[in-house]
Amino acid sequence: MRNRLPILLIIILSILIICPLLSIFAEAVFPDGQFSLTQAIDTITESENARMIGSSLLLGLLVVIVSSAIALPLAFIFSRTQFARYRFFDIIFMIPFMTPPYIASMGWILFMQRRGLLQQLIPSAAFLSDWFFSLAGLVLVMSFHVFPFMMTMMKNAMLAIPSSLDEAGAVLGARFPLRIRKLFMPLLTGNYAIGALLVFVKTISEYGTPSTLGRRIGFEVFTTDIHRYATVAPIEFGKSASLASLLIGICLVIWMLQNYITMKKTYNIVGGRSSASRIITLKPAAKAICWIFITAVIFFTMVIPLFSVIASSLIKLRGYGLRAGNFTLNNYILVFTEDRQGINALSVSIFLAVTSATIAAFLGTACALSSRKSRLVEGIALIPEMLPSIVLVLGIMLFYNRIYKAVPIYGTIWIMVLSYVILFLPYTVQYVSSSLSQISGSLRAAGRICGGKPGYVFRHITLPLISRGILSGWMMTFIIAFRELVTPSLIAPTNTLTVSTYINRQFEQGSVGKGMAMAVICIAFSTVSLLILNKAIAPEKHR
Amino acid sequence: MKKTLMILLVLITAVSVAMAEGTVTVYMPSPAGLANKLAADFEAKTGIEVRTFQGTTGEILARLETERENPVADVVILASWSDGLSMKESGQIESYVPADADKVVPGWIDEDSMLFGYSASAVGVIYNTLIYPELSADWAELADSQYQNDIAIPDPELSGACKDFVAGYVNKFGWDTFEALAANGMVVPGANRAALDAVTTGEVGILLAGVDYNAYSSMAAGEPIAIYYPESGTVVNPRPAMIMKTAPEMENAKLFIDYLFSEDAQKMVADAYLLPGRTDITNTNRSTLDQIPQIECDWDAMMAISSESAARINELCAR
Repeated sequence: MRNRLPILLIIILSILIICPLLSIFAEAVFPDGQFSLTQAIDTITESENARMIGSSLLLGLLVVIVSSAIALPLAFIFSRTQFARYRFFDIIFMIPFMTPPYIASMGWILFMQRRGLLQQLIPSAAFLSDWFFSLAGLVLVMSFHVFPFMMTMMKNAMLAIPSSLDEAGAVLGARFPLRIRKLFMPLLTGNYAIGALLVFVKTISEYGTPSTLGRRIGFEVFTTDIHRYATVAPIEFGKSASLASLLIGICLVIWMLQNYITMKKTYNIVGGRSSASRIITLKPAAKAICWIFITAVIFFTMVIPLFSVIASSLIKLRGYGLRAGNFTLNNYILVFTEDRQGINALSVSIFLAVTSATIAAFLGTACALSSRKSRLVEGIALIPEMLPSIVLVLGIMLFYNRIYKAVPIYGTIWIMVLSYVILFLPYTVQYVSSSLSQISGSLRAAGRICGGKPGYVFRHITLPLISRGILSGWMMTFIIAFRELVTPSLIAPTNTLTVSTYINRQFEQGSVGKGMAMAVICIAFSTVSLLILNKAIAPEKHR
Repeated sequence: MKKTLMILLVLITAVSVAMAEGTVTVYMPSPAGLANKLAADFEAKTGIEVRTFQGTTGEILARLETERENPVADVVILASWSDGLSMKESGQIESYVPADADKVVPGWIDEDSMLFGYSASAVGVIYNTLIYPELSADWAELADSQYQNDIAIPDPELSGACKDFVAGYVNKFGWDTFEALAANGMVVPGANRAALDAVTTGEVGILLAGVDYNAYSSMAAGEPIAIYYPESGTVVNPRPAMIMKTAPEMENAKLFIDYLFSEDAQKMVADAYLLPGRTDITNTNRSTLDQIPQIECDWDAMMAISSESAARINELCAR
């Protein structure tokens, strides 16, 4: 039984993950059942698409630059100066990540548009509007979303540099700038390269911001083009699949590059004896500058989009904007009372989040457990994290459309459950794997020696120890699945809106006020769930 | 335990049999409020469950194309008559003579009795009254420099009504006006509702070819906007309901079409600020059909050019 589990899992995962990906390649290079690269090559070289590919890559590059400019100083401030003591910033900087990108960009649009919220507050800021609705604005909004990833990575890398190295440098007479250049930078280049590549992949994989703000300014990228070819008449799955294949290729190259850098360019500095890092005590002027920088980042990445979303949800008549007497809570009431759509969307999203998190918890735990026997299981299970979700969902759509006669789940809610499980499986796998790696083998051995059968040992030793990992994976999946946009916008069946598509639909075709009211509900829901999650994992840190 | 399970099973079967008066799957465009009301009323009257998919004309056509192998839709409603004609031309539509067909506005059921114009909208010029207290300029006059960078048009590739207007206008008057408007800084903020929102918030002062029912309902809510139909005329486009040849529930589909022309349904149409499809039901809340100046429509010629014209508008207005 135990040896058959990995094989069973490999079969399940291949059907779930590999088959949809193969369907994409099949659609791209077997247009009429015959192998031919012409369609794929024609699609990619079509002048419009070639331009799109160029602008996607440019966007990725610019977002890497801008988010580095935000993340690197913050990482330094929060790891090597007295600001490191303020732990509550860790929570605050999760807010941009908790705000779904499509909601944040709607907030920005409402704030910056002509005669929008900003101009109602400061009429002379009108000139900013034209500047914002261009590539510059898109780069900023996307950087505001992804910079916490790079910040956290760089912060941990900086924390890992032992002070002894820094002190050695200082003793030998090197001044601060020289130490930064000769000591910090070489030690960090590997980590930075990994962080930059991660941001790059996340940017070219992102659908939410390009589909809202990008569409406004006519800036097409991979994800929006893949979506458009697959959903707007005339449908061209071949083109969609060709672009998706290219995107898969780009992502794989980047992951390989990242692997190479991890092996060659990162230094093994953890494990040195003195690992307590020295805290630089800043002079008042420097401290003030840090405060200004931190406040500015918080203001732009959190306050403005949240203010804009909340204000828009409270405005009664949009024509009169921010004006005394023009505020109401009515939008929140209308979400629940005007028709069944609001409540339905909420219940569909909660249903999907709970079901997919639960299935993913079982499947993911099984994968993590068997990856000790077979690395292949983990390898396949983690693929969804490496690829843009729109690519996987497109694959699922093509695959289950093709086998509809045998497995008629296309067009039902179950295909969404399936898609969510596939997309979010890596969360559980990673959380459970990391708690497994902390269990010493001697514990299990002890259990066996005392006469426990494998099942008993698993139930009484392994399972209790990994239960926190499973719970964290469940909660994370729940939070992310609750607001997922890509799956429902590609394969939602009739009559089925989720929170994300409800917000989108209201924003584009219904009442902006109602859409933003739902957005506030969604953010509040995510934040509360995250706080519960934090509470749930917290004790582990103190063990 | 077993007994409870058995009872439960019997109950579930009984309930599902009671529910199984059948279903009808309808794909329909906005306004969502009307679609929901029609569905609920039809369900109440017949016991047939209505499954709806609501989207723009572009999304509905895409969905049909995706599902060609495994058809789901019974009835399809579009906001564009020319798109309806091209669906008919590609042989996807079933012919049927609905009850009360004699009361329908002449021309709103095609000669093959496949397209049923159960309601109609017209496009007009919608303007923000806080920015322009008065406005009555004709289409071409909006290319004047005093309106520079303050004009918008809904995306005709998403809005069926706008698409039909563009086709009708270009067919009659050529491209000069739209080229001049684009040169005057006309923008495309999105589908109908997004475009209306742009003029409501004052992002732009004037929206050309905005659908009228949206404007009337916003005006009724108290938003500072107004609408007029320029004197050189506009396109009134009947919104065709059609029965798919591949309808899995053909009989229910026909019942639904009959229902759309019933007095109750037509009153709901009028309440949603749309023009009703029956001559004996009239609007009291908006301009009626005879008050709207119309461009003479050659629908076959318009159908031939509508898609490429819509794409051309987006090209012209791209920054």
